[in-house]
Amino acid sequence: MAFDFNSLFAFIIFGVTIGVVYGIVALGISLIYSGLDIVHFAHGEMYMFGAFFGLVLVHNIGLPYPLALIGAMVLTALLGMAIERTFYRRLTRAGGGYTVAGMGMIICGFGMSVALVNVAYFIWGAEAEPFRANLNFIPRLTFAGDIEVPESYVLTAIISVILMAALHYFLRHTKMGLAVRAVAHNKDIAYLMGINVPLMISLIFGLACGLGAAAGVLIGPMQSVQVEMGYLMLMKAFAAAVVGGFGSLPGAIIGGIMVGIFENLGAAYISASHKDIYAFLLLILVLMFKPSGLLGIEAKVKA
Amino acid sequence: MLQINNMQAGYGNLRILRGINMEISAGSIVTLLGGNGTGKSTLLKAVSGLIPLMEGSISFDGVDITGLKPHERVRRGIVQVTQAKEAYPAMTVEENLMLGAYTRKDRGAIKADLDQVYEFFPVLRERRVQLSGTLSGGEVQMLVIGRGMMAGPKMLMLDEPSAALAPKVVLDIFGNINRIAKTGVTILVVEQNVRMALILAEYGYIIRDGVIMLQGDAKKLISDPAVKESFLGGSVADTSKILHN
Ligand SMILES: Nc1ncnc2c1ncn2[C@@H]1O[C@H](COP(=O)(O)OP(=O)(O)O)[C@@H](O)[C@H]1O
Ligand SMILES: [Mg+2]
Repeated sequence: MAFDFNSLFAFIIFGVTIGVVYGIVALGISLIYSGLDIVHFAHGEMYMFGAFFGLVLVHNIGLPYPLALIGAMVLTALLGMAIERTFYRRLTRAGGGYTVAGMGMIICGFGMSVALVNVAYFIWGAEAEPFRANLNFIPRLTFAGDIEVPESYVLTAIISVILMAALHYFLRHTKMGLAVRAVAHNKDIAYLMGINVPLMISLIFGLACGLGAAAGVLIGPMQSVQVEMGYLMLMKAFAAAVVGGFGSLPGAIIGGIMVGIFENLGAAYISASHKDIYAFLLLILVLMFKPSGLLGIEAKVKA
Repeated sequence: MLQINNMQAGYGNLRILRGINMEISAGSIVTLLGGNGTGKSTLLKAVSGLIPLMEGSISFDGVDITGLKPHERVRRGIVQVTQAKEAYPAMTVEENLMLGAYTRKDRGAIKADLDQVYEFFPVLRERRVQLSGTLSGGEVQMLVIGRGMMAGPKMLMLDEPSAALAPKVVLDIFGNINRIAKTGVTILVVEQNVRMALILAEYGYIIRDGVIMLQGDAKKLISDPAVKESFLGGSVADTSKILHN
């Protein structure tokens, strides 16, 4: 297609917006990784359940979109916490990371992912459902003459910034956030500070799942909601997390934005039918030149 | 204040402590001595609750705390400073100290304790907005002790505070441990620096292979021939004989 700066600008804007959503899911994966020492392979399903919860709250309950977003985040956080308490806790108690239990945790995550997709299938069926949200209260933005940014993208940008600011404030400026960071760094020392470590682990997991749900509710109106939507999102979020530096929270967002821009430009200028490959191309490129990711510290060795 | 009855504990199926009995009275300074790998750190971890007991019981202030989680023990005033001088490197000195006061709500008293930590360790005040990852070994040791003080402990357990530090820093730290004790905090200090520890403490326990093999007044222990020979500069051969048989 013919190159012009206006459309390049547009591709970058759309890329950044979608990328921030990848980043938010990646943020959850990174939070869980740093807090629990595990890589959560069922996180795509938290995103999927979040999207369905949001859809049900809007279509069936009739909540306005912003309330549905909050409701979906809370419900998914509770679902995630219940799953962690019931299934994961036994394994993580025996040690995460590179231990045998850590390996078990990876398999358990995959199993949970399949199980959750099937549960969702029983409830909502295999059909993709359009997420009809009333976003009239959001202005449509027009850029550089002829570029229109739809409401759902504007909203996504706004909500994402709010979520990131809130998370940053929570982690940096509240006592509980300090405790979360302490647990993420060293559980024994955190325990000795008088921090209720098991409770904080639940909180971290809930927070991460809530973020995944927010991503689902944000993407819903742009695409549609379907029980298998989690797989691809998980892969992209992983790519984002690794590109940014696994375990790094700012890295997750930056990685997400890079993946978003890269795949939008790839789709525009190389081939749109291979849109989903570009994320992994970027992943491989970054890993070749900086294996620890852009903001990653050297690999966190776990015993 | 602290009473340990037939405490047995370890890791997995590995039993390290094989029936420990100890009694520490309020306001005293007690030291726990012993060679490498004899179970000193394990004992502190069992008291702070980081590892569960296989057998026996611990009571504190007359209350059985055997089943309590570490954070619940901290709330009761049992505070451990671990051997791996571990501060949170990505947090500032003051954030680390405030984390020590995590369980407390009494703002005024927390502020007073923070001032006291800074008075005991002035270098921490100078470095208060610095990330603790940039501190020297001695400064980190001061920070983790200060963080322990911030919890408002009734009993402070210190695991080898002198390890890997320059003699001058060790003196400073021991002086400050003494000052902490003077504020009414009971001290249990694990040491390899036997001479310093026995000068500081009133009472000492010597552990070997997971049992207490000797205990008594620090002044008696320091002149005890067995202690003298094993720790206080007997020949290397003698030392290793006593430590390993
Ligand atoms: N986390 C652990 N898992 C298994 N064994 C351990 C662990 N920590 C210490 N040990 C073993 O327990 C014994 C006592 O260790 P420790 O209490 O640290 O000794 P000390 O502090 O007296 O040097 C040692 O043999 C050590 O190898
Ligand atoms: Mg030790």
